[in-house]
Amino acid sequence: MSPPLDVEARLRAANQGRARRAWAITALGVRMMLHDKSKFVGTVLGVIFAVVLANQQLGILFGLLDKNTMLIDHAGADLWIVPPNTTAAQAGQRLSTQLLYQARATPGVAHAAPLVVIGSSVSKPGGGSEAITLIGVELESHLGGPWNVVAGDVGALRMPDTLLFEDSQRAKFGGLNIGSVREVNGYRVRVGGFVWGLQPFGPPYTYAQIDTARTLGGVPTDQLNFVLVEVAPGASAAAVAAELRTRCPDADVYSRADFHTKVVTQLLKDQLGVSFGTSTSFGLVIGFIIVALSMFSSVIDNLREFGTLKALGLTNGDLTRMLIVQSLCYAAFGSLIGIGLVGFMARGISSANLAVIVPAWLVALTPVVMALLCMLASILALRRVRKLEPGMVFR
Amino acid sequence: MSAPTPTPTPAPAAPLAIDARGVRKVFGSGAIAYEALRGVDFAVAPGEFLMLVGPSGSGKTTLLSILGCVLTATAGEVSLFGHRVTGRKDRELPAIRRALIGFVFQGHNLIAALPALDNVRLVLETRGHSRAAATAEASELLARVGLGDKRWNRPAEMSGGQLQRVAIARAVAGAPPLVLADEPTAALDAHTGLEATQLLLDVCRERGSTVVIVTHDSRIFHLAERIVRIEDGRIAPDPAPKGDS
Repeated sequence: MSPPLDVEARLRAANQGRARRAWAITALGVRMMLHDKSKFVGTVLGVIFAVVLANQQLGILFGLLDKNTMLIDHAGADLWIVPPNTTAAQAGQRLSTQLLYQARATPGVAHAAPLVVIGSSVSKPGGGSEAITLIGVELESHLGGPWNVVAGDVGALRMPDTLLFEDSQRAKFGGLNIGSVREVNGYRVRVGGFVWGLQPFGPPYTYAQIDTARTLGGVPTDQLNFVLVEVAPGASAAAVAAELRTRCPDADVYSRADFHTKVVTQLLKDQLGVSFGTSTSFGLVIGFIIVALSMFSSVIDNLREFGTLKALGLTNGDLTRMLIVQSLCYAAFGSLIGIGLVGFMARGISSANLAVIVPAWLVALTPVVMALLCMLASILALRRVRKLEPGMVFR
Repeated sequence: MSAPTPTPTPAPAAPLAIDARGVRKVFGSGAIAYEALRGVDFAVAPGEFLMLVGPSGSGKTTLLSILGCVLTATAGEVSLFGHRVTGRKDRELPAIRRALIGFVFQGHNLIAALPALDNVRLVLETRGHSRAAATAEASELLARVGLGDKRWNRPAEMSGGQLQRVAIARAVAGAPPLVLADEPTAALDAHTGLEATQLLLDVCRERGSTVVIVTHDSRIFHLAERIVRIEDGRIAPDPAPKGDS
């Protein structure tokens, strides 16, 4: 006669080896996911769509923001003295040149230089004109640019009535070359060289020595748009800024980072935020819907298999793990391919006018966001699986 | 005077494989309530090979579901090998199923994504067996059911008879003390059905498993050690003779 069955021992054994069970269930989830190839491809395509649309939109947004802050970022100034309530580094309200002298006399200031920004137009040889943003800089200070000089030399600006134009606009301005002569605001000027990619939201930057710019733009010598300040080595930028605020009460004083943030914040608030936020969210929502429906339909298609697994002793926790593994796989595959496509597209569509900037943190964040999105999308499927009665296998 | 001979302590009687008392199951409530089981008393000895027969809607599959811990009884008590399984929390039942029960389903219910070997191995791995041990036992079982050369075939690449043989191998994997089968011959022709049932019986005997088959296939009745008839939610008073549905 066989001894009585030790049920308790069998129950204990059935609850052991959780790690092995977890691994078996993980592997099962992946294999079930890959088995239904069309559903797998469809779901991954949904994630790719979400990744590409969201990243492309954010990449263009960051590119546009970069175009609008590049003057701040490349001017080399630690501090900016700007007219009150300024929200962009553009032509606009002017300051008194007295502020330049106040800045130069402030302790801790190594250099202070004027910057004028003037909306202008260049006449084309065949008639008509094109708008430019004329930037006048004090060459000796090296503050305010230019940068990205691709032809000619910055020193050419020392020659009378000589300007550096945007390289990508040469054809638009009637086939510009070094030495070409054009009219800016009715004054004859000579092309001394070219910069590349200095194309903000508005007309392209065109550089001139400050006196030339004042003449072309009709800006009197007692006026300027911005004062650029370089803080002396060892001096505290915050302390110098505080002192400048005291000395220049009719102007705002920002650090480079603060001015950058102010411009970006204003752009997002006024124009870009809603537009790009909507399109980015749209991509994520569409991706979410595709993943959610696809995973739900996969569960419905395989309901009997899930019921069988439950009857065989798998728990709701096991099946949850399975679906989460699947959703993470969808997120991983979709993110990997999607980011690759975004990189490819970014290179393809980037130009002097439009930069698609996908920063490293966005690349790193994308799989995390997609993993969260896919896990969230699996809730519908999870609910169905958790409610499934194992007894359905006998019906 | 010689010392009295000590009376030998009798060995404890092995508990019944299945001990069901007064099992009731009501589906729905109120006006649409339907009583599928009306107080079933039912016992199966360890190692027994029993068939549960009865007309459609008699409650035999409901009873099998309750015995298999995939459905909870409305009232009554069920013990498996002396371990009470009714009144347990839902979250305790999967472990009971893993520990004690193997299933053979009407439609084999194999996982389409997995080859035969992995269908069997999955059961063992989810019960904590190592990969190597699971592979060895699954291979041995597939060879035992005559599918040693088909172990890498997926369900879509096998015939109905082969699928049911994989299902039998899966049901007995890990040597569960109780194997429950629901209409295992329903999707098979007469010859294959008889062969599959005989195989199930043989493999379970080798492993010492108790077997309960729900069936209405009279062609396999002769294989049962005992036949229990269920009618209208109750066990019929007189067991049906073998060969009579």
